[in-house]
Amino acid sequence: MSESIKDLGDVPSFPAVYAAALTRRPGAKRAADLPEITHRVRSVRIDPERAAAFDHLMGGPATELVHPGVLHVLAFPVSLSLMARTDFPAPLLGLVHLKNSVLQHRPVRVGESVDVECRVRNLAPHRKGRTFEAVTTILAKDGQIVATDVSTYLAKGSEGAGPETRRRQEQSPSSGKYGPAPGRSGGKAGFTPPAPTARWALDAGTGRRYAEVSGDANPIHMSALSARLFGFPKAIAHGMYTASRAFTESRPDLSRPLQWDVSFDAPVLLPSAVLVRYEDDPVTDSTHCVGWQSARSGKPARRHFTVDVTALV
Amino acid sequence: MAEAPAQKQSPQNSQSAKPLAQKSLRDAVVLGGNRIPFARAGGAYAGISNQDMLTATLEGLVARFGLQEELVGEVAGGAVLKLASDLNLTRESVLGTPLDARTPAIDISKACATGLETVVHISNRIQLGQIDSGIACGVDSASDSPIEVTPRLRRLLHRLNSAKTALDRAKVLTALRPSDLAPVPPANAEARTGMSMGEHQAITADAWGITRQAQDELALASHQNLAAAYDRGFLDDLVTGYRGLGRDQNLRADSSLEKLGKLKPVFGVKNPAIAEPTMTAGNSTPLTDGASSVLISTREWADQHGFAPLARVVDTRVAAVDFVHGEEGLLMAPAYAVPELLDANGLALADVDLWEIHEAFASTVLATLAAWESEEFCREKLGRDGALGAIDRATLNVTGSSLAAGHPFAATGGRIVATLAKLLHERARETGRVQRGVISVCAAGGQGTVALLESDGK
Repeated sequence: MSESIKDLGDVPSFPAVYAAALTRRPGAKRAADLPEITHRVRSVRIDPERAAAFDHLMGGPATELVHPGVLHVLAFPVSLSLMARTDFPAPLLGLVHLKNSVLQHRPVRVGESVDVECRVRNLAPHRKGRTFEAVTTILAKDGQIVATDVSTYLAKGSEGAGPETRRRQEQSPSSGKYGPAPGRSGGKAGFTPPAPTARWALDAGTGRRYAEVSGDANPIHMSALSARLFGFPKAIAHGMYTASRAFTESRPDLSRPLQWDVSFDAPVLLPSAVLVRYEDDPVTDSTHCVGWQSARSGKPARRHFTVDVTALV
Repeated sequence: MAEAPAQKQSPQNSQSAKPLAQKSLRDAVVLGGNRIPFARAGGAYAGISNQDMLTATLEGLVARFGLQEELVGEVAGGAVLKLASDLNLTRESVLGTPLDARTPAIDISKACATGLETVVHISNRIQLGQIDSGIACGVDSASDSPIEVTPRLRRLLHRLNSAKTALDRAKVLTALRPSDLAPVPPANAEARTGMSMGEHQAITADAWGITRQAQDELALASHQNLAAAYDRGFLDDLVTGYRGLGRDQNLRADSSLEKLGKLKPVFGVKNPAIAEPTMTAGNSTPLTDGASSVLISTREWADQHGFAPLARVVDTRVAAVDFVHGEEGLLMAPAYAVPELLDANGLALADVDLWEIHEAFASTVLATLAAWESEEFCREKLGRDGALGAIDRATLNVTGSSLAAGHPFAATGGRIVATLAKLLHERARETGRVQRGVISVCAAGGQGTVALLESDGK
């Protein structure tokens, strides 16, 4: 393996990473391939207060065992720092989060210290550009892998697009991190909404509250005004907020190894009423969840996300 | 009267080497009740607190049964919408009545089943020999419901309180945002689904195919039955006027199917999966203020005080359903608890002379009945050989129920128990036969409490 490791002193701050991405010299050369480097932060403590705030925001009780969403937000700035590298083949601010898959091998307790390793892999062509995976590995003190978190991103635009195309992408209204994924809006795929079992009344402050517990203060989530600067008509709910809430509401047994798979479709514009359906499957020990916007004034229903939580043992 | 304290035994006479004898159960009998007329939210009792209403209701019971200076074994009460400062609501209310100030009290909470649970608590204590007499009661005010601060403001205020220096306090205050200051009214939704009880019930009504017509007919019957009960004086010794109200404010004696039919559906309209919403303000209970109380004792205590028992609390059961991911309807728990109650007492549906099924919504009652008539439900969900069957509709809520009277959450159980006890007693006297009645109350959180009462008319 030619892979190298870059040790970071601490988990980087979101503002610093975003600032670096925003102030990137336009002419800087981007590599054709993904960097073969691991960004690593050692011995990161899972702050019990922050974990409790996360649980509460998801509507669950503060648990001694950590919600995997907490591990995701813990590691997110580390993977962002990797994707914000000047030679990264795709611009950070144009990335669309398509999927997220977490495999948790053993429960993690609040207050535990873990190592966070992030790398990127599998650059692959996609009809709307290219996709790649940001892989985060959470390791216990003894070196055992406790969780693996794979985020699939779409970098829009054709492969090897020139600097001009890239600049357009960075400014384009539809190129936000969680921007509408072309062809994935559910409606086009003939999404037929099932009967809802729950309804989320998401107010305009939903993004701000998730930013508070996750640290992800991307302007597209914070307010309609700041979202408009990036070309969105309204603020957009963090995809991982919807995914984490669905995880909590699926009533997982956190003491068991589990798989948490999320697929994002149309973004959730705030404020919004999202209809949700949960289906428990006792045979596979899993819960399937789908969230959508109901049909209105001639527009078909649009699927926002699907979430599957499966107990593995 | 409270039992005399047990004689203390000297160490020489100690029985500690032998197991203590098991006491036998005693009958818990309902002697009567008292309630105030139920008012529509923001109506006759606007500005009146839970403690005001509960105190007035208990005072009325004391007056009716001559319980001045009486040391009752225990008073169990509760409220669903309860202020944090009302932690001892029942005890505080007792202290405001002419009851002996040493009368113990307990607050109980189980959403809409609170009132019936206070009856369960008191009758259990009596049956076990722990007390000889007790009062079960409940109260709720939708007009004076608690309004809280946001969780963020609460945490900030606690941090502010524990801040040591002016600088620390200033730091806390800088974290304050305008949106933190917005008051928070009680949530009108199930915590885990974000859907109101009405929206949940709309799903159940739709799943069971409960028609608008059937719901309106049940609502109309409730109004007509309650109005007739008032007219014949049945409620004279059950209700005491309060604040200018002599009858339940929600009661519409002149209601008609035509009037009910004109109302627009209000629940299920936001659910795209429900093609034809059927639940209106007419066939759903309104938010209400009110309080109720029931006097329960042993037969001996009743004898000593010269009261005739109306009915015996024979047995009770509880159940809950998993509604969170839609496996069962939110308000269907009693459909499971009642069959269990009947089985435990060797009864079939037809052995029940009177039914009191709380009308949270007309469709709740109808879905419960439909479930018992369903071969599939009774086989698959209840694990029975076949359907329980249909009840005789002429035995259902014969003096009206919550659709007409209103439903001040914790006051409903007491209203129903006192009403049914009196009805059973009346009918037992008329027919000369033992009369049995079943009470079914559904509650938020997918819960239910049910009870079996019996009267020999003596």
